[in-house]
Amino acid sequence: MLSIKNLHASVEGKEILKGINLEIKAGEVHAIMGPNGSGKSTLSQVLAGNEAFEVTDGEVLLNGENLLEQETEERAREGIFLAFQYPVEIPGVSNLQFLRTAVNAMRKHRGEEEMNAAEFMKLAKEVSKQVDLDPAFLKRGVNEGFSGGEKKRNEIMQALLLQPQLAILDETDSGLDIDALKVVSDGVNALRSDDRAILMVTHYQRLLNHIVPDHVHVLAGGRIIKSGGRELALELEERGYGWLGIKDADEATPAS
Amino acid sequence: MKPAPTLSSAFLKPAGDFLPAPLLELRQQRGAALADMPLPTRKTENWKYSSRYLKLSDELATSLPTTGKHGTALAAPGHHVVFRNGVMVPEASDFPDTNGVTIKRFADLTDDEARELAERLDNTLDANAVQLARLNSARFEDGLLIRLAPDAVLEHPLFIISETDAHVSGSAYPRIYVDAGRHSQATLVEEYIANGAEPVMVNAVSEFVLAEGAQITSVRLSAEGENVQHVGATGVRQAAHSRFDSHCVGFGGPMRRHDLQVRLEESGANCRLNGVVVTQGRQHYDNHTVIEHVAPHCDSEETYRNIAAGQSHAVFNGRIHIHQDAQKSNANMSNKNLLLSTGAEIDTKPELEIYADDVKCAHGATVGQLNEESIFYLVSRGIDRRNARTLLTMAFINELIEQIPVEAVRETAQARLNHFIDQTFEEA
Repeated sequence: MLSIKNLHASVEGKEILKGINLEIKAGEVHAIMGPNGSGKSTLSQVLAGNEAFEVTDGEVLLNGENLLEQETEERAREGIFLAFQYPVEIPGVSNLQFLRTAVNAMRKHRGEEEMNAAEFMKLAKEVSKQVDLDPAFLKRGVNEGFSGGEKKRNEIMQALLLQPQLAILDETDSGLDIDALKVVSDGVNALRSDDRAILMVTHYQRLLNHIVPDHVHVLAGGRIIKSGGRELALELEERGYGWLGIKDADEATPAS
Repeated sequence: MKPAPTLSSAFLKPAGDFLPAPLLELRQQRGAALADMPLPTRKTENWKYSSRYLKLSDELATSLPTTGKHGTALAAPGHHVVFRNGVMVPEASDFPDTNGVTIKRFADLTDDEARELAERLDNTLDANAVQLARLNSARFEDGLLIRLAPDAVLEHPLFIISETDAHVSGSAYPRIYVDAGRHSQATLVEEYIANGAEPVMVNAVSEFVLAEGAQITSVRLSAEGENVQHVGATGVRQAAHSRFDSHCVGFGGPMRRHDLQVRLEESGANCRLNGVVVTQGRQHYDNHTVIEHVAPHCDSEETYRNIAAGQSHAVFNGRIHIHQDAQKSNANMSNKNLLLSTGAEIDTKPELEIYADDVKCAHGATVGQLNEESIFYLVSRGIDRRNARTLLTMAFINELIEQIPVEAVRETAQARLNHFIDQTFEEA
């Protein structure tokens, strides 16, 4: 489904990704782990099409199509979804309006009829229950005044509504208490299917107790330096990143 | 150095003589006082950013004809009065017949009523600050007097449509005077629109005098065309515990100016002033507001938002003056501005003058652009860029539009804003 070859990317002239190679097949769940500053979030943002990052070399194919040539909105319509590490607050645009506009943009792209307000409201209420968000959130501004956990649940809610081909979860576990982690994980597990892939980017192993990956990769210094199965995550949990020859500046003070 | 330009005497020739004698006399006096009035220039402080847009050619001095067919009034529940080129059109107007509510055009006033009105006209406005609006008092040909008896309640909004027929060049001088008795209540909607494409000047003055406990909601929608220069002034005086709610929505033009002056004269009076302005192309819009906290224990809350696209120019000047006796005043002013292009200009100037020591006074002004992170978030969900920009632009003013308590105005404003957005993002 997704094929990343020798991907290099820079931000403000500084190279962050230095040759990423990764193959993800439909139905698979991949986890990318690594210390802070290793390029995990950059990879997520580059795949989603953030123009703040410049791709300097390499290619990314989604179902054989050149992803890097597409605008962010086209990528989204082709099935790329990024759950943001830091979802943006947009006061003045209601969650409901935002979600309906997004869902209808997708439906239009697929040649389907757009949903009217009443139909969408019904759907949105159902999905909000699935991620344990009070439907009252729908009336509020996008992420406006949401707690960290509520923002993350809102991201998963969007994934459930948009039904992407490839969901990229950028540190979706950060800032979640154990109950919220469970809710978010259940939401992600509900997304798992044979024709969909999930790429989880995380600093910690604990998310992987709830969403069991098929493949685990260690990203350091802008490259994938080790790949393995689920046991690799457990080993990292136990031994840290040091045995791989990586310095983790944050190991002593884990990010929140 | 060449002498400062003065108002052409052509502007001091009023037309229409069917007003009662006391008002004709007032007009004459005001006209005489305006002879040789210096016109605003770049050096005139309160016209600094806007004088260059003002074009007072003699052809604008002519009074626009007041005969001919009128356009269509805003169809909405409530009553409406239609003014065409500053003169009421009785056959298009529908007055409410409510106990305690007197609505009369100036032309129909008795001499006694006219004498009383003549003594009160202009008393709400600081003549030095609204020089040009003073021309209205030298030129008005008709006007609307609304008098609410104590405790009278106007149940539905009254729409006052001021339509300018710009099929020939000239000027019009709509005039409104509202006298709200103790504990009376009303919602008044002023809508300024224009037909035709000849260059015209509209000079509109509205005055509101609120007795103790009166509650007035004033909505002002200004949406005349690219051929219309508009100079408007609204003056408000408030007695104890009265409440004045103002919602101004303005669309840019070749020259747009609105002065809003509120005097909180007795304790417990409070006002809320909301304003939204959008400009595009080479348009201009200038809002000047003044809130005078004269008495103690008064509250004011002011929120203005400007959105400027293209090469347009929006100005906000908000002055709060807290007098020495006005202890325990509570004043809040916020002006936020959104620039949609690099060629647009916004000037914002909060002015606070505080002479009392026990007051709460806060102000804030910002100028910014659409947030790229927010755009990225929206497009990453498949929303196209134009829609993302539209959502974010509307988000900037939605809150103020939603506060307008008259549905028909919200809808009209929304439709015009949609048109503004279509045109703005097509250019981009």
